[in-house]
Amino acid sequence: MTRKFAFFPGCVLDSAAREARMATEAVAARLGIELVEIPGWSCCGASHVQDIDPNAALAANARNLALAEQLGLDVLTACSTCALMLRTARQELLNGRKNDINKVLAQAGLEYKGTAEVSHILWLLADTAAEWGPQVKNPLRKVRVASFYGCHTVRPPQVMTHESHLDPHSMETVITACGAEPVLIPDRLKCCGFHAVFPAEPTAHRLTASAADDAKKGGADCLLTPCPLCQLQLDMYQPDARKTEGKGGDTPVLHLTQLVGLALGIDREKLGLSRHIVSTESLLAKC
Amino acid sequence: MRTITFDIDRFDGNRAWTQSYSFEYAPGLTVLASLFLIKEKQDATLNFTASCRSAICGACAIRVNGNSLLPCDTRLDDALDQWKSDKLHLSPIGNFPVVSDLMVDWSDKIERLRRAKPGLHARKEFTAETGCRQSPAELALIINQWDCILCGCCASECNKLSDDSKDFLEPFVFTHASRYAHDSRSADGMLHVKDMLSNGLWKCLHCMECVSKCPKGIKPAGDIAAMRAMAVAHGNTDGPGPRHAAAFRTDLENTGRLNEVKLVPRTEGMVQAATERMGFTLRMLERGKMSVTEVTELYLTDNKPIEGIEGLRKIIRSEGTPK
Repeated sequence: MTRKFAFFPGCVLDSAAREARMATEAVAARLGIELVEIPGWSCCGASHVQDIDPNAALAANARNLALAEQLGLDVLTACSTCALMLRTARQELLNGRKNDINKVLAQAGLEYKGTAEVSHILWLLADTAAEWGPQVKNPLRKVRVASFYGCHTVRPPQVMTHESHLDPHSMETVITACGAEPVLIPDRLKCCGFHAVFPAEPTAHRLTASAADDAKKGGADCLLTPCPLCQLQLDMYQPDARKTEGKGGDTPVLHLTQLVGLALGIDREKLGLSRHIVSTESLLAKC
Repeated sequence: MRTITFDIDRFDGNRAWTQSYSFEYAPGLTVLASLFLIKEKQDATLNFTASCRSAICGACAIRVNGNSLLPCDTRLDDALDQWKSDKLHLSPIGNFPVVSDLMVDWSDKIERLRRAKPGLHARKEFTAETGCRQSPAELALIINQWDCILCGCCASECNKLSDDSKDFLEPFVFTHASRYAHDSRSADGMLHVKDMLSNGLWKCLHCMECVSKCPKGIKPAGDIAAMRAMAVAHGNTDGPGPRHAAAFRTDLENTGRLNEVKLVPRTEGMVQAATERMGFTLRMLERGKMSVTEVTELYLTDNKPIEGIEGLRKIIRSEGTPK
């Protein structure tokens, strides 16, 4: 398939979740998806900036979208919170804020027109699974995968419209296309706690431990998430959650594109699988 | 004959069990009408609450397959189509004590609602003679929140509330506080926000279940965000929540990108970051998440400013940004 997008990586793909960027780019290259990074993109506000300066959050994302429009391409993200922030801004702009925000954007020589759609790489991979399925060189037949969607991948449905927020299937479509077995765990649509890990740390630890334990009890070899923030929370904080909750601690947590990369037979080094806090070795032995 | 089955969670005050009821499919039924059918034809002991049957009283909220909704406002056909099944699991809404079957107890929730000080404390210039006039634009800021019918759907799947309700309130309580805090007729919006600050205003997980489940299209998570902004504007900037948000805002203006290394000390303070987060930091370095050089550079200097940073600064600092 040949497709071209304005790529919005988001801050964590350039720092703690760099492996998600590596895997996303490697998978895109293999599947003929051209990612043109939006020049000068800024932080989306990470669902925090609006708490203290909602206008700054909206204006920054209007700028991000205006920059993408200059490329004449739709936007693709690999982060669910970035997708939610950009799609929320787009909705607000198209529902009455476009003209006043454009007066502000004009100071930087920009104009928001409303042409670019914002999509998530999960949706792209799920919708095109039949196309890229035949390119799976290394079907992951021995691997059982528990999906963890991440709140902002599906909620709120007024903004994240791709599929039912009550009963989504895109993750399972991708897992099946990789030749792996999907495991439906009770926590698959729950929150990981990432956005409140500082003010509500005990809650975040309990949610993290629960998801890791849920996957284990369901007989899954790993958790899989399309959101790098969920991955960071469930992976980086799993040892802390283990300490306080006595559960989890050894459940590997993969980024969506890492699993797809493994199935496509992409070199493991290019997928950053050694950059995880919870070791991925037991999982890789089955791949 | 097409048969529909409801597996309904029952509770008689002591014993809890799930009971199956089957009935003949008929087009045009709502989920609530189906419940009445079961009560009238099969089991008069089945308890549920309902009144208006038009989504304006909020009495009938239940869960279908684990998700809250108003059964009076949900067509059976839509529910069956959503779950691609002729069998549905009905249970009482979550995060409420159950009285009997699908009936829940609101008494403690009403007490918690009082923390929002729900009621208009009007500005002094308003009198019995002049009334409390409000422009259409001012009303527009709160009109959606006035649609709240206290059905409890927003609280049912709230991830924070499900984990621990001791340090957090039901989303509808935040919505009620926000609608008075942002009412142009209120003498002091902070009167309603103050108690929210000590009842978990910054502990919302952003799980968006409340926004997703409200049958009236209200956004309690948005109300929480709006009250956070009001609290910060009134000088309530201390604590990990406001400091965390401020760190993102600072980075947005300084370089355009998040500085992950400075984020933790900015949120928790240098001492806590250097002591309690040491294990975490070492783990990150050991697994190669970040290198020592990178961490040092990011801490001592910052990210390289993005292309067009001056434009971004103008945009977000702009006085022209609508308030």
